[in-house]
Amino acid sequence: MLLLFRDRAGLAMLFVMPMALILIMTLLQDSTFKILEEKQMSVLVLNYDADTFGINIVEGLKQSSVFDVVERLDGKAFDENAMKQQLMLGNYRIGIVIRKNATTALKNKIRLGIQAQFPVEEGPIFDLDSTDASDTANVKLYFDPITQSVFRQNIISALHEFSAAVEAKILFGIYADLFNDMLDIQLKPTQKLKNLVVFEQEYASTAINKIVPNAVQHNVPAWTIFAMFFIVIPLAGNLIKERQSGVAMRLKTMPGSEQAVVFGKGVVYFVVGILQAIFMLLIGFYVLPLFGMYSLKIDSHTLPALALIIIATSMAATGYGIVIGTIATSQEQSSIFGSISVVILAALGGVWVPTFMMSEFMVTVSKLSPLNWGLNGFYDIFLRNANITEVLPYAASLTIFFLLCLLISRFYTKFK
Amino acid sequence: MAEQSFIEITGLTKWYKNTTVAAVDQLNLNIDEGEIFGLLGPNGAGKTTTLSILCNQIPFSGGDISINGFSLKRNAMELKKIIGVVPQEIALYDKLTAFENLRFFGNLYGLKGNFLKSRIADCMVNFGLEGKLNKKIDTFSGGMKRRVNLIAGILHKPRILFLDEPTVGIDVQSKTVIIDYLKELNKEGTTILYTSHHMDEAEHFCTRIAIIDQGKIIAKGAPSEMIKLQKGCESLEDIFLHLTGRKLRD
Ligand SMILES: Nc1ncnc2c1ncn2[C@@H]1O[C@H](COP(=O)(O)OP(=O)(O)O)[C@@H](O)[C@H]1O
Ligand SMILES: [Mg+2]
Repeated sequence: MLLLFRDRAGLAMLFVMPMALILIMTLLQDSTFKILEEKQMSVLVLNYDADTFGINIVEGLKQSSVFDVVERLDGKAFDENAMKQQLMLGNYRIGIVIRKNATTALKNKIRLGIQAQFPVEEGPIFDLDSTDASDTANVKLYFDPITQSVFRQNIISALHEFSAAVEAKILFGIYADLFNDMLDIQLKPTQKLKNLVVFEQEYASTAINKIVPNAVQHNVPAWTIFAMFFIVIPLAGNLIKERQSGVAMRLKTMPGSEQAVVFGKGVVYFVVGILQAIFMLLIGFYVLPLFGMYSLKIDSHTLPALALIIIATSMAATGYGIVIGTIATSQEQSSIFGSISVVILAALGGVWVPTFMMSEFMVTVSKLSPLNWGLNGFYDIFLRNANITEVLPYAASLTIFFLLCLLISRFYTKFK
Repeated sequence: MAEQSFIEITGLTKWYKNTTVAAVDQLNLNIDEGEIFGLLGPNGAGKTTTLSILCNQIPFSGGDISINGFSLKRNAMELKKIIGVVPQEIALYDKLTAFENLRFFGNLYGLKGNFLKSRIADCMVNFGLEGKLNKKIDTFSGGMKRRVNLIAGILHKPRILFLDEPTVGIDVQSKTVIIDYLKELNKEGTTILYTSHHMDEAEHFCTRIAIIDQGKIIAKGAPSEMIKLQKGCESLEDIFLHLTGRKLRD
């Protein structure tokens, strides 16, 4: 126990390293994650259609809390080329161009559709104006080349939804006119019609089935778990040093079982792991906001679940340290193997690259990493306010991993 | 049946894994309470192996050991409480201070609080280490480390003390302090079993010795009697060379 505290550099590493990682990675990745969040994002909009469709789409985008509509750059109007330039520079991620006469084209298309419903002998019902009704591209989208497909799909589906609503509105209007003309019934233009377009921010696409955390919700637990697993190095190192220095041999001659001594050591590191987790969460709560990041938010109902996940993760890390400390034959071996394996498990488990950005195959592979179990537990708590029973599978896996580690080291010692 | 000796070793045999020769081979030895017994022999004779078995560090392949009437196999926990061990290598945490090391080991022997503190302080003074209590082990000289290593084995005033080459590789001053202290300890009732290859040291220090080579005892007795009995030998060293030969060992 004292040994650990004497090793100030090692101890500092256990707390400072993850703190730095959390700060750096959160700041770095914030923009990447931002576009995946329900947070205002700037959209360049060029509306050449000063009619129902164009106005409604722009209005809808403006009212939606997801988008921040930009129609002027530095107070000046811009054209399509300037828009492309901006996107290429990465200043904006998306540009929307609504074509001239988009409304007319849409109306014509709808009228053609209605016309087709009437018997031919009725003759033309509408005076179709000259605009080419077959021009289908009413809206053109430009994306920053690095925009991720998940995000792209989100924006497209949001626009589809908006335009479907506008179409419905126009369709409704045409039918109203039609009634007016043919049946001489004056339909009152109701206020309600104007609010027909209700924009709902809904994410279609894969994001719905995947947990998509924000930068804080990902980085804080991810690096906390990573750091907790890093106690493997001092723990295994100490066990090996004890063996090499003959202290382990001395301990064998003393009353009290060997297991008790290893257990005592394990408990110390286990507690350190818990302290790390608490420390990192506090950073998420209080320090990140100072850097303009979101503060981590958790529901007080989820505290027991959070405690459970932290305890289980710390146990798993301790067990892993004991196993490495038992099997490795030198301190160098254990610190090299320990750190590399933790980094690999972290990469697989979605600490570096979150699992929602991984391919289907890698997501499956990630399930093999104990760090992933812990991380998913944290995600569930931060994003879904999961309760104890919901995170129990993760906690149980971690606990089983811990027991397995103990079993392996027991077996290995016996065999030696 | 004759009265049992304090330490009784019968037919002790130890095979290490993947070896073709037994490290300890059918060894028989009786040691009485209050003795200072020397286990002498060249390198690789099996001294450390025998001692390690006696203090529960490694299992043995055959034979029987009883100490104070307890079987080593069945009553290990009882025996651990009454033995003290001073290993050949420095078995200390070198990043901790002498005090922290000794407190940790003292705690494991069930010693606590102020009693332990004053015991540690006394021992440190006895070994001329006053003032070094709060220095880290890795700042100590070889002789100092050895003395702390020894203190760690005697804090709980064991009834039996096992020492593996306690005087190897240290200066004459440290050696004298250690030998004198052990004599003192023995007077207070501690039985001592120690290994060495310093014959002259053993000759004056031990009540009885056994010379061991290739895992077997080749001679045993009181040093003075052995010298008397062996024609042409004037010291233990002569006997030793006579018995083990002059061939170099590794
Ligand atoms: N861990 C081990 N594995 C295999 N052989 C060993 C081991 N330890 C000691 N030996 C062998 O056992 C014999 C006795 O060794 P040891 O008891 O250390 O001798 P001593 O202490 O008298 O110098 C030697 O031949 C040594 O090579
Ligand atoms: Mg030896």
